[in-house]
Amino acid sequence: MSTADAATPFDPLRYRADFPLLTRQVHGKPLVYFDNANTAQKPASVIAAVDDFYRCHNANVARAVHTLGEEATSAYEATRDKLARFLNAPSRDEIVFTSGTTQAINLVAYSYALPRLAPGDEIVVTQMEHHANIVPWQLVCERSGAKLRVAPITPQGELIEEAFVGLLGPRVKLAAVTHVSNVIGTVNPIARLARAARGRGIPLLVDGSQACPHLVVDVQALGCDFYAMTGHKLFGPTGTGALWARREHLQGMPPFFGGGEMIRTVSFEKTTFADPPHKFEAGTPNIAGFVGLGAALDYVEAVGRARIGAYERELLAYATAALQSVPGLRLIGEAPDKAAVLSFLVAGAHAHDLATLLDHEGVAVRSGHHCAHPLMQFYGVPATVRASLAFYNTREEVDRFVVALEKVRTLLA
Amino acid sequence: MTASDLYQQRVLDHQRAPRHYGALAAATHRADGENALCGDHLHYDVRLADGRIAALAFTAQACAITTAAASMLAELAAGMDVAALTRLEARFAAFLRGDAEADPTLGELVALAELRRYPARRQCALLPFATLRAALAGASTATTAKDSA
Repeated sequence: MSTADAATPFDPLRYRADFPLLTRQVHGKPLVYFDNANTAQKPASVIAAVDDFYRCHNANVARAVHTLGEEATSAYEATRDKLARFLNAPSRDEIVFTSGTTQAINLVAYSYALPRLAPGDEIVVTQMEHHANIVPWQLVCERSGAKLRVAPITPQGELIEEAFVGLLGPRVKLAAVTHVSNVIGTVNPIARLARAARGRGIPLLVDGSQACPHLVVDVQALGCDFYAMTGHKLFGPTGTGALWARREHLQGMPPFFGGGEMIRTVSFEKTTFADPPHKFEAGTPNIAGFVGLGAALDYVEAVGRARIGAYERELLAYATAALQSVPGLRLIGEAPDKAAVLSFLVAGAHAHDLATLLDHEGVAVRSGHHCAHPLMQFYGVPATVRASLAFYNTREEVDRFVVALEKVRTLLA
Repeated sequence: MTASDLYQQRVLDHQRAPRHYGALAAATHRADGENALCGDHLHYDVRLADGRIAALAFTAQACAITTAAASMLAELAAGMDVAALTRLEARFAAFLRGDAEADPTLGELVALAELRRYPARRQCALLPFATLRAALAGASTATTAKDSA
């Protein structure tokens, strides 16, 4: 694949060819993969990078002085540079590698928030959070006697900003908000929320899991304090992710896990720790995975994030109109600023039945609560079907999805 | 194989017109069941006489597979005690895993044979058993499945 300039029309078929899995069939039908918010498929360059690492460069990182050790360390650390550029972090030393967003949020919960929480303190989240941005805060609240406060959303799925700001009282020690909802695709106005929070001395954590595959993410422009992301939704390997945090926060945070690779000196009397980010990276990491993530970042940059965003907006508009033509279909979440995620219900048909029958037609969608029980409760539904699109999806696939949906809807009616 | 093998007429018939559906007057035992994966909900009212099911009724906010399985089970359950129900559940689970062939004691449940190809959906068919068993055991709730990422 070669880099395209901004003027070239976006041709998804050109990029599809880079994803080997997208050529397979399911139940004898060409696969329509619309479960990208769950995990994304991997381009051949990512698969090759992982393969090449194990074939030619495998060694542990930051320990061995032999050639393979140098190569492995260099390839692994190169991903930290790429990710710092991807997020426009001021420094590579502010990028802590984690197994994914969940670990990144837990690191902040236990290492940053917990030591600061006293009984009666508060943490603010929103109604639309994934369980990964709810449960860690509940756990540290339980330990500390702090309380979780929840900012409401509108029926369209937009955060009510005034209500969020209204919750930012003197007892609030941290606010945690998703950048893009994994269920309804809402893009939250992070820069404004960060200004409001930081103006009151409250740090803002952003769950960037769903934003990184769709948006240009610039942590300096966003002005947040912590940004958690995952590699596998960004066309990289599973078990890779990162926390970006402002340097002053990382310096003040105690280590979360102890072990090798995070120490300066160890004796039984006293251990001194490495500087961030290594202080937070105990043990042997997913080295090959991070090498693959580096290849994924290269790939996404070559396609061009602004072009991806523009194409996906167009595809989302097309898919939204197509779904609205299906009788009895109700879209859940219709915020004006949305990523390419469509949650819906069909009258008289259960989400799991629809998903199983769509699978028979070769269409992969997610059904269930999407790890967001509180959002499901807000909408008063137990489960939805979710179609989540990526830049390698096409209008033709949307058409086949809608035809399949009509067919299974008729069967269940 | 086509979609209609799982969602065949017998299954959809039970889903659209479930047997023993509703509330039961003078129930002696009750339980709610929840599928943690999707939030599907079942409620059972049971009247036990001498430890055996004299009557039962259920309500469901659930998928076609759960509703149909509950309806099919309701047709089989009369006269059963906990031990008989547990044996039936074990035979049905083995049947779904492909470890046992269909036998007449499974009644209409054999129509769910296609679930052998859908391990992720088997718990949908087993929730009615877990819930009814909970009711008979005097428990008030039953769940299947775990949270998913």
